[in-house]
Amino acid sequence: MDVRLPRLGEGADSGTVAGIFVKEGDRVKKDQPVLELESDKAVASIPSPAAGTISKIHVKEGDEIKVGQLILSLEGDGATAQSVTGQQTQPVEAAPAEEVMPEPAETIEQEAAEPAQSAGVGQPASPSVRKLARELGIDLSKVKGSERGGRIVLEDLKRYVLRLQQLAFQPKAAPREQASAPKAVLESIDFSKWGPVVKKRMSTLRRTIRSKMVTSWTTIPHITQFDEADITQFMALRKKYAGTYEKKGGRLTLTVFALKTVVQALKKHPIFNASIDEVTDEIVFKEYFHVGIAVDTEEGLIVPVVRDVDKKTMLELSIELQELAEKTRRRKVSLEEMQGGTFTISNQGGIGGAHFTPIINKPEVAILGMGRGVLKPVVVKSKTVQRTMLPVCLSYDHRVVDGADAARFMVDLVEAFGGVKDADVKI
Amino acid sequence: MKSITAEIVVVGSGPGGNTAAFYAADKGKKVVLVEQDKRLGGVCLNYGCIPSKALLHAAKLINEAKGSSFRGITFAAPSIDLDKMRAWKESILVKLSQGVASIARARKVNVMYGRGYFEDSKTLRLETPKGQQFITFDKAIIATGSKAALPQAFDLGNKRIMTSTEALEIEEVPKRLLIVGGGYIGMELGTVYATLGSEVVVVEALGSILAGADPDLIRPVVRYAEKAFKELRVGTKVLKMSTSGKHINVAMEVNGKKMEELYDRVLVAVGRVPNCSNLGLDNTKATQDEKGFIQVNEKQQTRDPNIYAIGDVAGGILLAHKASKEARIAVEVITGESSAFADIVIPAVVYTDPEIAWCGLTEAEALEKGVKVEVAKFPWSASGRALTFDRPDGMTKLVIEPASERILGVGIVGAGAGDLISEGVLAIEMGATAQDLAESVHPHPTLSETLSECAEMFYGYATNALARKKSS
Repeated sequence: MDVRLPRLGEGADSGTVAGIFVKEGDRVKKDQPVLELESDKAVASIPSPAAGTISKIHVKEGDEIKVGQLILSLEGDGATAQSVTGQQTQPVEAAPAEEVMPEPAETIEQEAAEPAQSAGVGQPASPSVRKLARELGIDLSKVKGSERGGRIVLEDLKRYVLRLQQLAFQPKAAPREQASAPKAVLESIDFSKWGPVVKKRMSTLRRTIRSKMVTSWTTIPHITQFDEADITQFMALRKKYAGTYEKKGGRLTLTVFALKTVVQALKKHPIFNASIDEVTDEIVFKEYFHVGIAVDTEEGLIVPVVRDVDKKTMLELSIELQELAEKTRRRKVSLEEMQGGTFTISNQGGIGGAHFTPIINKPEVAILGMGRGVLKPVVVKSKTVQRTMLPVCLSYDHRVVDGADAARFMVDLVEAFGGVKDADVKI
Repeated sequence: MKSITAEIVVVGSGPGGNTAAFYAADKGKKVVLVEQDKRLGGVCLNYGCIPSKALLHAAKLINEAKGSSFRGITFAAPSIDLDKMRAWKESILVKLSQGVASIARARKVNVMYGRGYFEDSKTLRLETPKGQQFITFDKAIIATGSKAALPQAFDLGNKRIMTSTEALEIEEVPKRLLIVGGGYIGMELGTVYATLGSEVVVVEALGSILAGADPDLIRPVVRYAEKAFKELRVGTKVLKMSTSGKHINVAMEVNGKKMEELYDRVLVAVGRVPNCSNLGLDNTKATQDEKGFIQVNEKQQTRDPNIYAIGDVAGGILLAHKASKEARIAVEVITGESSAFADIVIPAVVYTDPEIAWCGLTEAEALEKGVKVEVAKFPWSASGRALTFDRPDGMTKLVIEPASERILGVGIVGAGAGDLISEGVLAIEMGATAQDLAESVHPHPTLSETLSECAEMFYGYATNALARKKSS
């Protein structure tokens, strides 16, 4: 059976082989990671599609490989039995057929939700241009028309395709240049001149983190807003219900609570759940709430995404988060599970510390940092009382979020933290 | 039992079905076209668009002759031979239907007469007078159309209660004719019967006739109908009908008041229902909505991957040209092109006197959807061409997006509006602006000038009418 590189996810169709976990002659189980692939988005492990013995490995570390490319050959066990159906399970091969004949049921539902506009108030373009755009899969609302009334003609379409093509090559080159730019300028310093040193090669994950951080920090004007949230009430509820959650397989943590609370605030302040489309100069407001959680792993920071937080109960989230974090620590999380986030939470409270300035997880526009909650004297109605105060810090993209927006978001968030009710946590 | 195979089987040979069959054949597919009627062409050709337009032409002749005395031309009162008129109308239908059949032959489309029934998602059973046949297909396109709705309360089995199909046969010219439903079918056939001499009463449950068209377009038709018909009653519900000797006794409620009247005949034109009972849809994965129309996506696909539906049976606007467009989309999707029924302008034409035609966004729709538009109107009283045949009772209007000046909708009322609307469709489909229309030279003297002059009205410089100057 030939094992080919499966489709990795939206926008990711190639990557560099960062590591190979197996060698020729190894027996592998189905879903056992066989190699690690670094794309410009993240690092992902590629699992074996079937059990068997590896007869040949067709790639080596450092190779740039594309979706559909042969990675390795597998023999025996499930491999032969599966090789017949293997074709179908390969997403690359199945993709064109899918496009020609999509599941009609789905489309019907979509249509029902949003009736097709037959009144012709779409983009102004002749039927032949619209047909060509449909064939090329181009959304005409993103194309600028050059004719009177913004009418899109064939020339505009050509220009747009050309621009897309240029852009498609740019982002790949850009991060690499940026990442290697310091190298070019700075000379390697011999630190051993001043004493003994140990050198360790940067892992692929570390290199990815480096380039992502550089991109985010250098392209987004960051501002961080600080505050403190009163979590006394939540801590009491947590004490009361932690046992019940545990019996059902969940862990009632402050992060779980923060997930729920943040999404409330995101719903009220949609700009914090948005992204900038830098190609079309549009702000994209997402109507879903997928929140990334920064997880501290042995190799470094990984941010898996919890999907549809708004549709899940606190218990469901407490179970899911625990599993997701565990999976992430064991580096079993897939590339897909790290994509599509709309906001990120970084909770350092488990370790300690107070305020810090988190870096935005691009293309998101904001990130919430949480420190450790500490008992503090607080003046409430002219009386000094002890409350558990949680340091919260919100970094935001000042290109789309104004200071006043951030202040309003923070006020609502802090209020929501403090105003938790028994019913919110109870199961 | 014989079994034949087809790459595409098309069920129904109306404007949707025959377009689909011929287009698929042109694209090299092996096509079987199934028709349960004795003649090809469907409702449009046999019981709808074509016969009604033939009769409307006869009505127009009568009216023109009658109304010519002030021009110094006087004709004797017409003598009408219904049998001959029917035969003339029939001859047109035969000619057209034979045309469809010979085109099918030339394209090597296998035409089979009989009733189709889906055994499963790959097999159509054909019931013919000579027995059953099975057609195994890769893809099927359902184009079985619709039929006039006859609510059970009105279905007395009395031939004096007609639907459009029977009314087009003009068995007789009843003295008193009630038309239930002031939609386009009721209004068109009302015009025919009124001209032939019937006292016509049209009742409509809604507050206005011809729902869907802008009120200002309807006004000239109402004015005509009020003169030509005995009465136009809106806000009227028909409660019950019963046979009363050679008459039909009709109980109705007019704006809350109950009344009973006797009529010689009644035409029920209250809408149409899809033809998909007895089609074996339950043996496939295709689904129907609550009104019985087959559910499709914008690629005309039903939930059964092998089965497509187009035209009236697939719901939406029940118009022949919409069916033909959907036919092309279905065939293109089947042959692997990326087609979809999206942003397609479907014009509507009502062959009343005067005609009404519109396309794209109507003024009423814009208001309802909150789309900001500007409307330019050109009255036909300022059109030289309209005055040469004494029909100043027309109006052309454009619905325009103010910022881009793009034409979003066109509405026309007036003689021949149906033939004029195509320019509006082209303008909208091409994304033309009012300026594009104003700058395209229109021949003089024609009614088409009303479109360019209307665009000029938008800018405030129409030659033949005064418009408010556009503030700039």
